[in-house]
Amino acid sequence: MAQIVFDSLLRSAELGLLAVGLTMVYSVLRFPNFSHVEFAPLGAYLTLAGASVAGLPLAVAAAIAVALTGLAGVAADRVVFAKLRDRSPIMLMIAAFALGIAMREAMRAIWGPDPKSFPVPLQSPVDLLGASVTPIQIVIIAAAAACMLLFHGLLTYTKLGIAMRAAADNANLAQASGIFTERVIRAVWFIGSAFAGLGGVLIGLNTQIYPMMGFGIIIPVFCAAILGGIGSPYGAMLGALVLGFAENVGLSINFAPLIEAFGGETGGYAFVPTGYKPAIAFVFLILVLLLRPQGIMGARRR
Amino acid sequence: MIDYFVYLLTIIGIWGLLSLSLNLQYGLTGLVNLGHIAFFMLGAYASTILVMVVGTSFVVGFLGGIAAAALFGALIALPTAHLQQDYWAISTLAAAEIARLLLKNTTIGGQYQGGAFGFSGIPQPLYDAFTPETYGWFYLALVLVLLVACWTLVQWLSEMPYGRALKALREGDDLPLALGKDVRSLRIRAMALGGGVAGLAGALYAHFNAFIDPTYFLPLETFIVWSMVILGGAGNHIGALAGALIIQAIYNSTRFLGGWVPIDQNTLGSLRMIVISVLIILVIIYMPKGLVPERVRRYAPAGRRGGT
Repeated sequence: MAQIVFDSLLRSAELGLLAVGLTMVYSVLRFPNFSHVEFAPLGAYLTLAGASVAGLPLAVAAAIAVALTGLAGVAADRVVFAKLRDRSPIMLMIAAFALGIAMREAMRAIWGPDPKSFPVPLQSPVDLLGASVTPIQIVIIAAAAACMLLFHGLLTYTKLGIAMRAAADNANLAQASGIFTERVIRAVWFIGSAFAGLGGVLIGLNTQIYPMMGFGIIIPVFCAAILGGIGSPYGAMLGALVLGFAENVGLSINFAPLIEAFGGETGGYAFVPTGYKPAIAFVFLILVLLLRPQGIMGARRR
Repeated sequence: MIDYFVYLLTIIGIWGLLSLSLNLQYGLTGLVNLGHIAFFMLGAYASTILVMVVGTSFVVGFLGGIAAAALFGALIALPTAHLQQDYWAISTLAAAEIARLLLKNTTIGGQYQGGAFGFSGIPQPLYDAFTPETYGWFYLALVLVLLVACWTLVQWLSEMPYGRALKALREGDDLPLALGKDVRSLRIRAMALGGGVAGLAGALYAHFNAFIDPTYFLPLETFIVWSMVILGGAGNHIGALAGALIIQAIYNSTRFLGGWVPIDQNTLGSLRMIVISVLIILVIIYMPKGLVPERVRRYAPAGRRGGT
């Protein structure tokens, strides 16, 4: 039981960082940024380069790589999306899709298609309230939680955070009241992409680094953002938690009593096959879109 | 060499069908379908299963492929017809992946068939009536005949009142609603129609390639169809075909380049996708109407028709 809770929290931490970044860009620029998830492998690969090629300690390499990933997000905005501000969201969406593929294939060409690992020693799991946990997994959850708290502080107590919320609420009104929205947009790209980069580093620490690690989780990330209500950072965190638990709990429920109640034959065991684990997020996503498209914490959309 | 060109033209023809069908959904109706490859996949699988497992004739297989894909189109449009464009895009992407996962996790007609194994040795129609040399030409002719037929169909539909209603829908719900059109039903029919054409392409592909598995139908392929429509010019059916020709030419050029440049196949495969995606970004920024822009009918300025 404790194991399921812990696995769910781990998954939520990884999804949450990506979903928060996605929802921020969405709230200010009003288009689903399909290239967002590609900043995750970028952060991970840059960290790997810093740690193994330049020989930096892993934490330092990660900090530099996350900052560089944020700058890459700002660059992506300057080169592609700034030229499309007045276009329909469809064109922005397709351009983002194209940019995502270009980034992914560039990383595949540079670092190769084979999975790589960070140079961390093999971890021996410790027992935590009945769940077996490696120290690095605790670091992952702590890092994600710390980022969320920092981000909450930024949104609530700083001028930039207030400007970001204003621009997300109504960009024209924010501009009219003296907020330099282009600067806010740059900040949003930087923070959003840096979060995605950090998410990539954490996923890489937990598993492996490979070019598809970003696109492979695009549906869960979008699902978490939409589930929470697109444009709401707190909603995205909540959405990631709900989805993280749904995926892990969904696989561990024995459906045998339910099926037998309807007259089916099970032999006492009926679990969702693990091959369908990704489908849980897809089904969730479609159900949310059908039943409550504004999300759990979403404001009504104009 | 000549064999290779016959092969390439056949592939271009099949992808031309896909491009046409997406153009019907996006270019004409404005539906942002990011799960287009699912129609192609369902057409391929339905026809393969009908011919190989059930043992029907090829005609039934092809018709089954078209029907399965059209049904899927109507099914995903049915509950989502009221969604906004961005949500629609994400839900079609998810629906296509669910369909792919289902096929990936289900074996069909044997322990090592279907599922992740895919289908190999898919029979080819009228194979015995030709020699291996002439069979390529026959299949090319078959694809081209069907392509011309589908092009005629969508061109005819676009000029009918139905096509004009779809174009009105593209610009927003308000106008067709004011004219008393059923917006939901228009969307569902456009999805089913485009789905059917894409399903035909899928059936053609399965019997041409003689092998399919779930990795052939990744979201990346949907993007390739999109790049054809965007490059050629959304809303113009000639443009959609021109886009298919150019994108497939770039996509297949690596076979020739492979012998000349000292880069391994993996990297070349990545490079061609980078070329296509950068090209599409440039087209979106600098040439948003594409190579062959849609012809917009202009009417006389309002002032000249009487008035004050």
